[in-house]
Amino acid sequence: MSAIKAGGGSEGMKPVAVVVGIILLILALGVVYYLSPGVAFMGLLGVVIGGLLIGFGVHFVPVGGAPAAMGQSPGIATGVTMLAAGAGLAGLFGGAWAAEYGLAVALAGGAIGGGLMMAITCLMVNIIYVYAMGIPAASGKVAKDPITGDTFEAYKSQGTEGHGLPFISYVGGVIGGILGGLGGTLIYLELLEVYETFLPTLLNASPDEVKALAVGLAGIFAIGMFLVNAVIAAYNITGTIEGPHDPKFKRFPRAVIGCAVASAVCGVLAIFVVLV
Amino acid sequence: MEELLFGIGISAVAGALATVSGAAEDTESDIGSQGDPNSQVQLAPQMGYIHRIYSKAISGEPPAYGLWCTLGAGLAWALMAINYNPVLAIVLGSAIAVFVQGVYATTAYLGRTASLAKFEQPVYIDLIKSVTTVTMAHAFIAIFTCVSMCFLMVNALGHPFPLPLLGIVWGIALGAAGSATGNPFYGKERQYQSQKFGAGVPISASGNIVRYAEAGQRSSLDNGWFTSKMGGPASGVCFGLIVFLELWRTIFFESFAAGWGAVVAGIVLIIIFMIIDRMVEKWARKTYGPYTEEKEATA
Repeated sequence: MSAIKAGGGSEGMKPVAVVVGIILLILALGVVYYLSPGVAFMGLLGVVIGGLLIGFGVHFVPVGGAPAAMGQSPGIATGVTMLAAGAGLAGLFGGAWAAEYGLAVALAGGAIGGGLMMAITCLMVNIIYVYAMGIPAASGKVAKDPITGDTFEAYKSQGTEGHGLPFISYVGGVIGGILGGLGGTLIYLELLEVYETFLPTLLNASPDEVKALAVGLAGIFAIGMFLVNAVIAAYNITGTIEGPHDPKFKRFPRAVIGCAVASAVCGVLAIFVVLV
Repeated sequence: MEELLFGIGISAVAGALATVSGAAEDTESDIGSQGDPNSQVQLAPQMGYIHRIYSKAISGEPPAYGLWCTLGAGLAWALMAINYNPVLAIVLGSAIAVFVQGVYATTAYLGRTASLAKFEQPVYIDLIKSVTTVTMAHAFIAIFTCVSMCFLMVNALGHPFPLPLLGIVWGIALGAAGSATGNPFYGKERQYQSQKFGAGVPISASGNIVRYAEAGQRSSLDNGWFTSKMGGPASGVCFGLIVFLELWRTIFFESFAAGWGAVVAGIVLIIIFMIIDRMVEKWARKTYGPYTEEKEATA
């Protein structure tokens, strides 16, 4: 079944592909566990969980693509991957800054950074639609907003599938930003710990001397893995999505499996840089 | 206290730089037609509407600005490593990144437009000469301000990421904020200026973009003039708010409750923005009203 025709839930999942993916995932975890059952294995687990969070979070982000730019469909008028990446990386910025306060504060800081970026962006999108274009928000996928109860059918202008960002899409955008920021920060922090542990031995240098290199490596791998997971989720969505109320949202299990496998493979490569 | 005031001052400067960066980014992308509305610029000749609009959308704004800001930041970082003055290093880094942008814009316009040859869309050489340099000028402002902002984050506020890495992070975020906020204004209000105000463009009108100006054919420079009045500033406010509030909540509240203060401040800000959004949404529904009878819609 093609990605376009895939429905929700487990529909569209090929059993063979799922089994191969799970074998790859177990293999990646097994290899790292065999080489370093402590820091590296926990690091890889964190990377996989971070990837899952990113893949899941992207499905919440309301993206309308090109039609949204003409007020022809609801959502934010840009691409799924890049909007999610923008929010997630803004979160990563905050999370990395708060790393000195410990894992919990850094993760929360990253999550809130991503959520704040989306909260501001979604608000400005609605301000443009309402005050610059004179267009009220209307969903094309549901008759009523599941949160506010607003009806949409009468608020859709003629010949369009809806426009703007209804409140449920706004909330979805913020949740997507939070999950993206959380996942990206988790990947960064786990990789940073791995590099800070192994780099001093590898380079025969003190921890302070390798600090900058560890931060740089963890940061660039975290950004790379964020984009890998966001692209996988975007392929799963195929084009546009309005948020958690969109029928396409139910496709997320497939992306979650794909992101777990991709994160594990990428994570192994990122860890092998210092482990092998 | 002095350190706190310094931090807030730097946050304000970074926020101001981000605002200019966002406004320049959106105006640049509208003049070059790089955002999502470019689908209509590409579609128009296929529907028989030949035009003189620039077209350089061979990638989205976020990855493009991710590249240019990273180039600018990376080159500035390298020049500073060999003891160049930071201001000169950032100017030189941004200038070299802009030349890459210029090459990208030229090849993108030639490639995209030449692909429409079978629909009789000409490649206008004078457009390359007149528009490319204007997009480059706007791109320079966007890249220079973004890299300067990243420099302040590293050197004045002590963010652990190196300058090129911050270039990627904020370059992608800049493109995401600019395209999200500015694209609908450029797409609906400018490309489809002939359509009714206060409604989306009917799907049946796709491709029928406005091609004529008060005198002669519309130029992409006219589009920049138009969007710089609303889409550009709004994009600037969007990116400026993101940068300023992210820095402000961290610097001002991080010392409370072992770092949790910044998290709580972020949550409060998100809730405030959510409430404002709901008020805007309700105001629009009440003021503009439905397009058709509610009863008819629910039937």
